[in-house]
Amino acid sequence: MQIRIDNASGRPVYQQIIDQIKRDIALGRLVKDEKLATVRQLAGQLAINPNTIAKAYRQLEQEGIIVTRPGAGAFIANLDSSLSQAVKERVISEELERIVVEAFHMQIDGRTLLEWFNNAVERFNLPPVASGGQAKEGQSDE
Amino acid sequence: MNDSVIQVENLVKYYDGRCVLDGIDLAVPRGCIYGLLGRNGAGKTTIIRILLGLEPATRGRTLLLDADSASLPAKTRSRIGCVAEGHNLIQNYKVGRLITLCKDLSLQWSDDSFNHLIQTFRLPTDRRVRDLSMGMRAQLNLSLAMAIDPELLILDDPTLGLDTVARRQFLELAIEVIQKQGRTILFCSHILSDVERIADRIGILAAGKLVVDCPLEQLKDRVKKMRVIFPEAAPANLYLTEIVNQQTQGREMVITVANWNKQKQTILETFMPSSCTEIPMSLEDIFIECTRPSTEPLQVA
Amino acid sequence: MLALIKREIQDHIVYFIGAIVASALLVVVLVEEVFNYDSRNPAVGTTSLGVVLSGIVALGICGMGAAQMYMDKTRRISAFISTLAVSRSRILLARIVAGIVVILILLVPLAVTASILVRIFTPPIPLYSDMIFEIFTATFLLALGGYSIGLQTGWNSSAVTPTLGGLGLTCIFVPLVVVKGFGPEIMVILALFIGASLLRTWHKFSSTSL
Repeated sequence: MQIRIDNASGRPVYQQIIDQIKRDIALGRLVKDEKLATVRQLAGQLAINPNTIAKAYRQLEQEGIIVTRPGAGAFIANLDSSLSQAVKERVISEELERIVVEAFHMQIDGRTLLEWFNNAVERFNLPPVASGGQAKEGQSDE
Repeated sequence: MNDSVIQVENLVKYYDGRCVLDGIDLAVPRGCIYGLLGRNGAGKTTIIRILLGLEPATRGRTLLLDADSASLPAKTRSRIGCVAEGHNLIQNYKVGRLITLCKDLSLQWSDDSFNHLIQTFRLPTDRRVRDLSMGMRAQLNLSLAMAIDPELLILDDPTLGLDTVARRQFLELAIEVIQKQGRTILFCSHILSDVERIADRIGILAAGKLVVDCPLEQLKDRVKKMRVIFPEAAPANLYLTEIVNQQTQGREMVITVANWNKQKQTILETFMPSSCTEIPMSLEDIFIECTRPSTEPLQVA
Repeated sequence: MLALIKREIQDHIVYFIGAIVASALLVVVLVEEVFNYDSRNPAVGTTSLGVVLSGIVALGICGMGAAQMYMDKTRRISAFISTLAVSRSRILLARIVAGIVVILILLVPLAVTASILVRIFTPPIPLYSDMIFEIFTATFLLALGGYSIGLQTGWNSSAVTPTLGGLGLTCIFVPLVVVKGFGPEIMVILALFIGASLLRTWHKFSSTSL
């Protein structure tokens, strides 16, 4: 499990860990039931306070992305069933809002944004959205 | 239950009539890595010297492992490892002789861990301490402090003189220590990215006072920097208290506020901004804001 | 504790070697003087020897006390050692023990030699056997007095001031000795002086900033 912490970025360290784990899952580098590094291991490897790592793991568990089994460690959850639709919508909507605001500040128009969005979606093997605005439900990667 | 490994109660210190510490209160709980920050001359080294009993306080008292700093018994000292400012050690001794002295005077010493560190750092033992580079002295100092397997580590600028690799080694060492049961670390550093990585709690010393003393995450929650865009020209006065910094340009205002809460959020919303985005602040940003000399005393607690 | 004493000895080895050499020389001088003794007034001979001896010892020991404290201050030795598992009192005690050892190195061989000589020459030399003990004790206390002056002042200044202090001590106490002899009064006065001086040093050393 390769995680890199960027000291210069303003993003909190625990958030960076969460982001990268989610990214790895989405890219297929981490699969269902795969065991994550323990808090201790990761703390030693990255030279980061174990509490920060524990916080990241806790949040991931809250979002249903990982499960911790007592004595065994943390594992990637079965992503199909654990998150309710409402939670999924909340998490994604928040992220989308963040992106839209950034785009607004950079004065990027909606069309360009949608184009970039489709590129990203394609890269991660989600079926692309038609530019007319027809929303398709995203399917989990295999 | 009070499990504070380090306690500072209303500490006041005057040097030649000048007030260096003006009533410091601090409690470092067991198991915590506490990062003490402050500009040069803010008093970090003074606090550490008083904690270690090297310097008497003018008023107030400090306790290490429940023992008064002014009269630390030898047994308590054996549980504390320290790296003092400038890594002075004893300059004209040979390294080997210094090591033997420390070993003989310690109550518990681990040859294995000490030798492991010496080898990791590749420190020569046949030279005099004054002939070592600053970085090597830092590593020697750290190794001597770690060899007694201390419960409490007090480190004054431990990475001074260390190159990038050595600094990373130090961070990994600190994490290794904290993973053991019941260990606590207090350290001060100017390299804020390092502090940000490993610290649980942060203290910022400015103008003789501890203007910040809280968990790192809380600090980032409490000091908020926002980009606010108003439909028309930005108002000159937002009637918010504890504004650390405010920059206005036309409709846009970038404002940094301490101790952000719902109240302030509500006040801001009365101005009906068209958008309000949070700009994430790194510890360095927060530090610079908090140590800016200002007329209004700032306190984040 | 032993490690601390060992450290003091190693750092001030000059004084130990000097003491051994001086002791040897003085023993030789004493033996020679006794063997070349002819029936002059014995009391004056031994008294003057004792006086000169006290003077030299006081000055030299004074210098050592000052040197110990001065080296500590300039090289920040206690600043480092006090962060280890020792108390400041123990550091000071080890220092004083080292000083006492030097004094003993100087005086004990002399006292032993003198006792042996008395045993050999008792009839022609009318020395009281416990006069040697008195001289030894008074000299020891005088040396310790000089040492404690050295300790007291060494922390703040160079070696010069305490050496002058030792000289002053000699000038005060030696006439006293000449007038009153090496009697118990001298010992009491010296003991009180030493007690007060060492106490002050200990108090200062315990509370100073390192």
